[in-house]
Amino acid sequence: MAGTLGLGAATLISQISQSLSGQFSELLSEVRQSLVVVQAKSFGAGAGIIWDENGLVLTNKHVVGRKHSARVVLSDDRQVDARVLASDPEIDLALLQVADVDLTAARIGDSTKLRTGNLVFTLGHPWGRRNASTLGVISHLSTARTRGKRGLIPIIRTDAQLAPGNSGGPLLNAAGEVIGINTMVVNGNQGVAVPSSVALDFVEQVEKREGASVGFA
Amino acid sequence: MAKANEGLMALSGSLANAVEAGGESTVTVNARRRFAASGVATGKDLILTASHVVEDEENITVILGDGSELSAELLGRDPHSDLALLRLSEAKAKAAEVAKGKAQVGQIAMALGRPTSEGVQASLGIVSAIGGPTYGRHGGLLEAHLRTDAVPFPGFSGGPMVDVEGKVLGINTSGGGRGHSLTIPIATALKVAASLEEHGGVKRGFLGIRSQMVELPESSQKALGREQISGLLLAGIEKGSPAASSDLMVGDIVVGFNKQATANYDELLALLNGEVVGKATAVEILRGGNVESVDVTIGAREVQESRGRHSGHHRGRRRWRGHWGWGQRR
Repeated sequence: MAGTLGLGAATLISQISQSLSGQFSELLSEVRQSLVVVQAKSFGAGAGIIWDENGLVLTNKHVVGRKHSARVVLSDDRQVDARVLASDPEIDLALLQVADVDLTAARIGDSTKLRTGNLVFTLGHPWGRRNASTLGVISHLSTARTRGKRGLIPIIRTDAQLAPGNSGGPLLNAAGEVIGINTMVVNGNQGVAVPSSVALDFVEQVEKREGASVGFA
Repeated sequence: MAKANEGLMALSGSLANAVEAGGESTVTVNARRRFAASGVATGKDLILTASHVVEDEENITVILGDGSELSAELLGRDPHSDLALLRLSEAKAKAAEVAKGKAQVGQIAMALGRPTSEGVQASLGIVSAIGGPTYGRHGGLLEAHLRTDAVPFPGFSGGPMVDVEGKVLGINTSGGGRGHSLTIPIATALKVAASLEEHGGVKRGFLGIRSQMVELPESSQKALGREQISGLLLAGIEKGSPAASSDLMVGDIVVGFNKQATANYDELLALLNGEVVGKATAVEILRGGNVESVDVTIGAREVQESRGRHSGHHRGRRRWRGHWGWGQRR
């Protein structure tokens, strides 16, 4: 009797972990369609995420540097030119506009609802390896003082492994929504991401300023 | 899509719940100069932490999960297992729940810490190995340890390793002092804590011998009347030690201690526990092929200056510490 019960439980648990693993890979292949490579400087590249279907791509400021244009490689290897609409060194974000093509935008999540311990995963191109992913949790929801007028901004710290090439790539929650932009590594191996709330603010400001030009570049 | 990844979202939520539950008993321990560390409330007024983070024994403050700051006194420390026990000035802490049963390799675990006032921090991993016995920082034997791949961020020392329900599996230390982190299983840690609360320390026995494991010939095994393939050849006896004031001689082969066989050094060290300290204990030896018994009054293993060793500011000048580079602390 107990034996049957034990076997049943074991099968159930193995089914659960198999389904978790399956869900994870499904989620990754969905979000990968919105992941791009951003090449702006003479060497090195970063990641970026397709923010909306009108061709906005969000990445890190340090990925594009002081350049006004960049080359964006989409997940299906199409290469498109992009114009740097705006960049903000204070929060290390840059917004790019790519020429009008078929794009799959990522879903944007609410970073203010995050809790320490929530499962997260990263997508990017660490050390140039395309579309690699790492898993972790939210280690710490902390704040950082910027060098500009914003003062304190929230930041997300995670134990998911990041490396050069992850910059500008998305930090995703268990629902596959973008909740942050991976920006740097501190304390040796702690990843720091700019939360989606800060990114949404930034994009909104740029859209306001650029007016109708956004989406019709 | 939202329905398809229900499982992942449920796991994510339960991990966050675990951090919240375990975080209530995870405290900040302020007892060193630069960077605060973490601790675990094992009772309403008891905090278990890592010994190496308690540098300033006089001015210890503890910040609880709710933000209240209390002063604390050091009840005792055990540098061998790198654990220290503090008593809070007020019984306001929430005692941690202890995981039932032993940790298992492959089990999901999270390291928690609270080194800043910005709330509890977490790092995810699995139990990668259960090891032991291991030698601790000062040569003492740890009966068991856990190893995980959770990243111990700065200030995580002394904090708990919790399971997916937030129940404590062990205490994170930087045991070994060799750069990697160890987790002391909670059962072992609580045993140490009980001894710290009662005696202010954990006694470990001291013989004062240098030994080498040697094979025992069949004739010796016959003389012993048991199948024991190895023993400990005495290669040296420290001056003024318990062994020196006994009848032990260099060349003797130690084959038993306190009526139990000692085929290797680890077995001898495990038997040299607090219970034999100060007592005349029978050491079984082979001398000239004959089995003899020598009584040795076991001493206590001292730890020299455990404070100064880990804190750079106690040294007047920085000293070159060999080819391993400057001492790092976690």
